[in-house]
Amino acid sequence: MEQRDLHPLEKMLLGYLVEHGSASEERIREESELPDEGSYRRAAQWLLSRGLVRETGRRETAEVRLGPLGRELASAGTIPEVALLEKVRAGETDLRRIQEDGTFHRGRWGSALGALLGSGDLRKGPEGLSAESEGESVFHRYWNLVYGPLLKGETVLLEDLPEDVAAVVEDRSPKRSKRRAELEVHREASLTLEATDEGREAYRASADVTTIGSLSPGILRSGEWRDARFRRYRVDIPPARIHTGALHPYRQFLDRVRSRFVALGFSEMRGPLAESEFWNNDALFMPQFHPARDIHDVYYLEEGCSVEPPDDGTYGRVAAVHEDGGDTRGRGWGYTFSRSQALRAVMRSQGTSLSARTLASHPDVPGKYFGMARCFRYDQVDATHLPDFFQIEGIVLGEGIGLTHLMGLLRLFAVEIAGAEDYKFLPAYFPFTEPSVEMHVRHPKLGWVEGGGAGLFRPEVCRPLGVEVPVIAWGLGLDRLAMLALGLDDIRDLVTPELSRLREMTVRPDELLRGRED
Amino acid sequence: MPKIEVDGGDLQRLSRLEELDPADLERRLAVMKGELDGWEDATVKIELNDTNRPDLWCVEGVARALRCAESGPEPHLQDLPPPAGTMEVDPEMEGIRPYIAVFRCRGWAPDRQGLDALIATQEKLTEAFGRSRSTAAVGFHRADLIGFPARYAAVSPDSTMVPLGYHREMTLADVLEHTEKGRLYGPLLEGMRRYPALVDSEGAVFSFPPVLNSQVTGQVRPGDADLFCDVTGTDWHTVQLTASILACNLEDRGAEIMPMEVAYPYDTPGGRRTVCPLVYADSLEIRLAELERLLGAPVGEAGVLDALGKMDYPERRLEDGVLRGTLPPYRHDGIHPVDMVEDVAIGVGYDHFAPVLPGDYTVGRPAPEEDLSDALRAVLMGAGCEEVLRPVLGSAERLSCGLDDRSPVRLANPMTLEYGAVRDSLLPGLLNVEGVSGRAAYPHRLFEVGEVLRRGPEGRVITSISVAVMVCGNSVDLGDAHSLLGALCHRRGLDLTLREAEDGRFIPGRCATVLMGDSPAGVLGEVHPRVLEVWGIERPASAFELDLDALGD
Repeated sequence: MEQRDLHPLEKMLLGYLVEHGSASEERIREESELPDEGSYRRAAQWLLSRGLVRETGRRETAEVRLGPLGRELASAGTIPEVALLEKVRAGETDLRRIQEDGTFHRGRWGSALGALLGSGDLRKGPEGLSAESEGESVFHRYWNLVYGPLLKGETVLLEDLPEDVAAVVEDRSPKRSKRRAELEVHREASLTLEATDEGREAYRASADVTTIGSLSPGILRSGEWRDARFRRYRVDIPPARIHTGALHPYRQFLDRVRSRFVALGFSEMRGPLAESEFWNNDALFMPQFHPARDIHDVYYLEEGCSVEPPDDGTYGRVAAVHEDGGDTRGRGWGYTFSRSQALRAVMRSQGTSLSARTLASHPDVPGKYFGMARCFRYDQVDATHLPDFFQIEGIVLGEGIGLTHLMGLLRLFAVEIAGAEDYKFLPAYFPFTEPSVEMHVRHPKLGWVEGGGAGLFRPEVCRPLGVEVPVIAWGLGLDRLAMLALGLDDIRDLVTPELSRLREMTVRPDELLRGRED
Repeated sequence: MPKIEVDGGDLQRLSRLEELDPADLERRLAVMKGELDGWEDATVKIELNDTNRPDLWCVEGVARALRCAESGPEPHLQDLPPPAGTMEVDPEMEGIRPYIAVFRCRGWAPDRQGLDALIATQEKLTEAFGRSRSTAAVGFHRADLIGFPARYAAVSPDSTMVPLGYHREMTLADVLEHTEKGRLYGPLLEGMRRYPALVDSEGAVFSFPPVLNSQVTGQVRPGDADLFCDVTGTDWHTVQLTASILACNLEDRGAEIMPMEVAYPYDTPGGRRTVCPLVYADSLEIRLAELERLLGAPVGEAGVLDALGKMDYPERRLEDGVLRGTLPPYRHDGIHPVDMVEDVAIGVGYDHFAPVLPGDYTVGRPAPEEDLSDALRAVLMGAGCEEVLRPVLGSAERLSCGLDDRSPVRLANPMTLEYGAVRDSLLPGLLNVEGVSGRAAYPHRLFEVGEVLRRGPEGRVITSISVAVMVCGNSVDLGDAHSLLGALCHRRGLDLTLREAEDGRFIPGRCATVLMGDSPAGVLGEVHPRVLEVWGIERPASAFELDLDALGD
């Protein structure tokens, strides 16, 4: 079996031990070439586990440090036991008067008295408190030997303290409930190490040959590597983690959907976040009194904000179609169209406004369009609702198209994009389409779910915007599909602000759309 | 969407279905765009998706649609007798609550369940369709206790009646103040000096629409088989259609409808004398060829006529290739021939139509802005940046970075202040991420490409796409964001220059306007500690933000 080469750190430690015999950790750290404590620990651990070094002794050290209470007391420049003892020695007999001294909390004075009674420095008689001792009490020495050096930043080891002071320290450094402790004792074991025979052998062997760790330009230029050995690395350890640049998981999903629609021959539509009610609703033949246009369903912009008004011709034709059907063969909604309402600025509540704008701007016939729009609805934010959400919308214009083509497209989307196993079409109601369809799809995980609404745009939508051919329109919320694709249960995770959670998400863009050919 | 709860037994009896089970009902409800919402004990919950079909928001309507889909059209409001009397309307009513429809019905003695259904229908219609009794409110009375001829009159608030459910006479003003319905619907009469009332031949008030009936005539009991119905309101068609729907429902229950005449001293959409219930007969026509083209599949003459029969069209004719159909009297939602096209499709059944892909060849093109966004995102990702996606709405304070001189557009009716304004920059979103990501390994190089809403001249708000990058870490300074900006420019071949600028979000002397030629394209700077403080960020950060439009060409 080939023995693994010594790591440079191992070599340093082993070399030191071979030369110096048995040595304590402190000495090794001070005298060897090992650069820092971490390097020492790693090298020692490796060598111990390989049997090249063994432990010859173990020494416990206990370092005393100030706890939270100790730091608080120290700020007074003395401790209550010493202060109390001095006061009584100066003639004070009443604890209550002493407690009026605000240097320490009343309770502290009380427990100091308890300690001094216990140590025999004070006595409590019928005449009150009296001193039983003179000179330096154990608490004076406790203050001088423990607090003194600690406040100067020096190290205090428990084992260096006189027995009686050490007892006070032990008493005041509870093992548990350190939150209010006066002192804390940190115990550490220190080892003494020496090289084993195998270790000496391994060191000798390694000293004979030059081993190369990291290759360097110098080594390559000099050709030194020709007579050297390459140190063998462990290849089964976890790598150091790096954080790469990354696209957002939800954006990756949207990117896939977008490229899929472009591939299906759809051109992309865009529209503004803030719309006039005209494009958001009126152009879609939603009457101005429609309940979905209520103050509780749509966000209005603050007073004084406006968006570009529609051109007069389009405005006039849309107003007419609402009032009496215009030239569409329909009778309209039969009310007086309000210009001020039409021009009011709202946050886009449905992506269909993109389709309305596209129809009004001389679209291609035949033509296919899609758009992914952020929409805003008046909803409480919870596990299933975001303040804004993504919708995908689309239209198909063509001389000879009808309901069956609409169904054909919906089926294509269900299969290509959502990976639906089955689908069905049900009659539905939308103010801007007639006939209207709602697709239900059977999803492999969710069972039957609503898969979006669609229909043929009403002539009252198309004609005022200048389109004479039938137009298929469809729309679908994307958030739920994205949650499913990304394996999320809470919709808020789609826009989580926590970088650590984003870094944890595994995304395989090629598998985000589970579509299949049918 | 209207949701109703009906009694399962009642529904089954009225629909004449042998058995009613959830799966079967669910399937059948498609014909009325309905969904089964639940079924607990005897209560069936149904959601009706068509907001223009108030006739369906009751057990009678649902049952009727089920019957017709099974066995074809039914007669409604046919061969009605001549008006049983005339109700005169006061001239003053024109300015108070102008329209009224009244009729009597006899021969159906409701049991408790029938009365409950009647009340449920009345409530649903007046709440959802009648807009909480403003455009239409309904009252039922015992006709045998009313002294005809009755009048629809404006009366003084001091007029009195015994309100339904009370046992003492009150002034109408007191009814508004001291009864539950009065407090609920009183606001509809706010500012009026005289109130609408139905007054009998003796001049006594027996109803106070849209608030409350009188105890005397309005307490309809099981077994009462001579009823008087009034519908009052502010919208002509809502009032008339509500009356027609109620009349059809009562007829379905076995009652005989006895029309009444209403005489107005002013003009109405129906003239000065109208007979109620108004028998709607909206008629639509379309060429069969056009209909079949819109549906994309042949349906055939017989198929079309049969389908409209299932949708309860009383008249349907095909002459010279033109289909003419008349809607039943409880419907007034046929506003264009395409509405009839959909009824044909539903009558035939959507299953009849086999999906076909459109044959036209079209070329798909991404939007240029989105293409550009993608290109920039790729460069930034290559530079080791991590993309985030933040909501467009946020709190005005956060979106202003806590600064007074920034003013993102606010919403007039926010639901919560947390989402009370629209972002005008992507930087607050990136700062928000930084603020909660202190434990993620550094350095952080964050970016977002997304839409913002900015203020333009004359109050106009303008949507634009923004690109923002922020670097944060223990030893980050202006140079870090500057380098990424440099890398982006280099990859895109952009010639951007920087000019020192002041911006409260950045440390003075460490902030620049990014120029493309002579026009501003964005901002670069080291984030000011007071801004970092807003989000509790404890490490230095630098950032830049560019307007996508400025980078296009």
